[in-house]
Amino acid sequence: MLNVGQILSNHVSAQPLSRRSLLQAGSLGAVGLTLGDLLRLEASAEVSSSPAKSVILLWLWGGPSHLETFDLKPEAPVEYRGPYQPIPTNVPGIDICELLPQLARRADRYAILRSLHCESNDHGMAGTIGLTGSIDGAISLGGQTQPGSLQPTHGSIVSRLLPSGLNLPDFMAVGGHLHQGKKPIKGEGASVLGASHEPFRLDYVPGEGLRFPGLELNDGLTPSGLDARRELLSQLDNVRRQIDRSVETSQLDEYYQQAFSLLTSQASKEVFDLDREPEEVRRRYGRYRFGQCCLLARRLVETGVRFVQVNWSSHVEPVEDRGDGGWDMHDRNFQQFQDRHSWMLDQAVSALFDDLEDRGLLDETIVVALGEFGRTPKINGKAGRDHWHHCYSGLVAGGGLRVGQVIGSSDRHAEYPIHRPITPADLFATVFGQLGIGTPELTDIGLLPAGEVIEELT
Amino acid sequence: MSEELLIASGRTKRRFFTALISCLVLTGASHATAADDPAVEQLTHDGHFKQRPVWSPDGKQVVFARHEGSTIYLWLFDRSTGEERRLTERTDPEYDAVFSPSGEELLLAVDKTSPGQGDIEIYLLNLADGSMQPVAVTDGKLSHEEWPTWAPDGARFAFTSTRHDNQEIYIADRDGKNVERVTGDPALDVHPCWSPGGRTIAFATNRWGDLEIALYDVVTHNLRQFTESHGLDDYPSFSPDGRHIAFTSNRHGHFDIMIADVSSGRTVAVTNDASLDNFPTWTPDGRVGYVSNRDGGFDLYVQDVQTLP
Repeated sequence: MLNVGQILSNHVSAQPLSRRSLLQAGSLGAVGLTLGDLLRLEASAEVSSSPAKSVILLWLWGGPSHLETFDLKPEAPVEYRGPYQPIPTNVPGIDICELLPQLARRADRYAILRSLHCESNDHGMAGTIGLTGSIDGAISLGGQTQPGSLQPTHGSIVSRLLPSGLNLPDFMAVGGHLHQGKKPIKGEGASVLGASHEPFRLDYVPGEGLRFPGLELNDGLTPSGLDARRELLSQLDNVRRQIDRSVETSQLDEYYQQAFSLLTSQASKEVFDLDREPEEVRRRYGRYRFGQCCLLARRLVETGVRFVQVNWSSHVEPVEDRGDGGWDMHDRNFQQFQDRHSWMLDQAVSALFDDLEDRGLLDETIVVALGEFGRTPKINGKAGRDHWHHCYSGLVAGGGLRVGQVIGSSDRHAEYPIHRPITPADLFATVFGQLGIGTPELTDIGLLPAGEVIEELT
Repeated sequence: MSEELLIASGRTKRRFFTALISCLVLTGASHATAADDPAVEQLTHDGHFKQRPVWSPDGKQVVFARHEGSTIYLWLFDRSTGEERRLTERTDPEYDAVFSPSGEELLLAVDKTSPGQGDIEIYLLNLADGSMQPVAVTDGKLSHEEWPTWAPDGARFAFTSTRHDNQEIYIADRDGKNVERVTGDPALDVHPCWSPGGRTIAFATNRWGDLEIALYDVVTHNLRQFTESHGLDDYPSFSPDGRHIAFTSNRHGHFDIMIADVSSGRTVAVTNDASLDNFPTWTPDGRVGYVSNRDGGFDLYVQDVQTLP
């Protein structure tokens, strides 16, 4: 199959093309291109001159407490401030939690957003807002659907507008589907952008290795029965013949070709094989799921994947998730944060920053770390904190952004922003801007910008 | 696309991926290497996160909580054989087991999954027959009773509870009766440890700022601040002779195991490196056990104490 993305990428790297000249010359049809291909071509040209080329989104599902991470209030009453003290970072004037000492030594590499807020304190709806920039189409825990059409998630937009030309999906999600309770949330996928821009899911399970969530062996189809590549290809040919009957063959064609390349090429297998990393590097990230997933994300962006989303957990609850446990700490907030989540976050994200920088990738890779909301500033009766969407914190680093600063501020109890309120849509409008995706590019694919660029970061 | 076709496509897609995945062999992490410090013995090697190892009075067994996949279960580790077995057959999370002075029973904290998560209760488990009886339960509300510690005579135990809408220290008889509230401060009071002499309960509290170790006199009800450091001090554990307290501290920028002399307050570091060392506990023969990631994963270690303060 013709790999349009590859051809286009090669072409624009040599000589950017003019949409007008191509249309006037009637060249599109001659080279088998559609207008959509041309738009993607232009986007590719944009990204080649943009500061950032890829994104790693660290999705801290469940909602971390901003008062225990990046917005401590040591002067607040004991009912608010919690048991941890702020420590100075390597940027004068910026303090973060004492349980994040490694991140404190790297504050010059990221910006802290202390005035994030969104419209809902429901995991499902706030999750949709965080991942799409819009509440449209979100579903609450109670099953109520918000009006409007569900928007594509950030990774799908990047996949659609910035094809890398690799024989790999441009949007990969490391981790399973996100849930609240037993219900999957909305907003993790491509929506109107089509199947070929859905996230390709993979996961890392300690002690087991790489996994592809949700995919299981069919009856009679075992690994031992597929040792011979010829037999595998025969099986795949059968599948292809069935796919060809589909009315959406073109999209599926691309999707399956990506998958085939992903799962069968030696190069892809090497990308996924964490055993190829030196033991010291693996230890630096941490021998737990989130740490190794961050390492996998680095390997993917190093290969050229445009957008990697690492889900900290699938479940919001700390004690039920199969991974490292979600951040929804209504009870035992401090014990769980201190015993596990704090150092996992501190170690893995610090290692990711170091590794990206050492490889010269941090300048062209944006790293975002945030959850769907924060936690109630007043400690509840169970030594926990409940959902709080009025004010919370996030991190953003790399990609040519202005880092080593704090954007926005909250009031004395971290209850509400008092300066520079920021929405998740604003944050991702800024991320998109660094990638060369602006209003014209979004409107060309039928989307509208949901937020405004945070100028202080650019 | 019709619904039927969508279903067919989904099935086809699954089969396609199944075939592709079947041809891959992608493996995960290798096990960590053992520490080479002769004073340090590594007991487990699986690397899964673990909490609160506690030695049996005869030193032959260690009970601890292990996080693996979506489970948090208590395990018994046999020191002579190196074999492990589950402490219970429960399927909900369980933590914080501690042997009774006789070694015949354990107190443990049992959790629930949603929608009852956070409703943690303390049970008394009889090792001989596996029977369990609740001894610290709050009816009618979500409350967590946890981190039990035995009085040296085995007649009572202390624990923490949020039954009065803040985490406080309580004492109860071994059958759960005659509950006495020890603390009542807006701060968090956590992780009690009853001294071998029976007179003192050490615990961590943030009433003076960040977490510090406090000592509570069971007879006089006097409470005093024992540690004062920049950084948190947590998880106190009395030595078998009651003269020292091991605890976790991040005063050097990372989680280390410290030992303080109860009389003088002088403190020495048992560990002092970049690894994360936590949940100190004493063995009956006076060594210090803890959980550490010094070899990559999180495993149980026991260490000779070279110098006491």
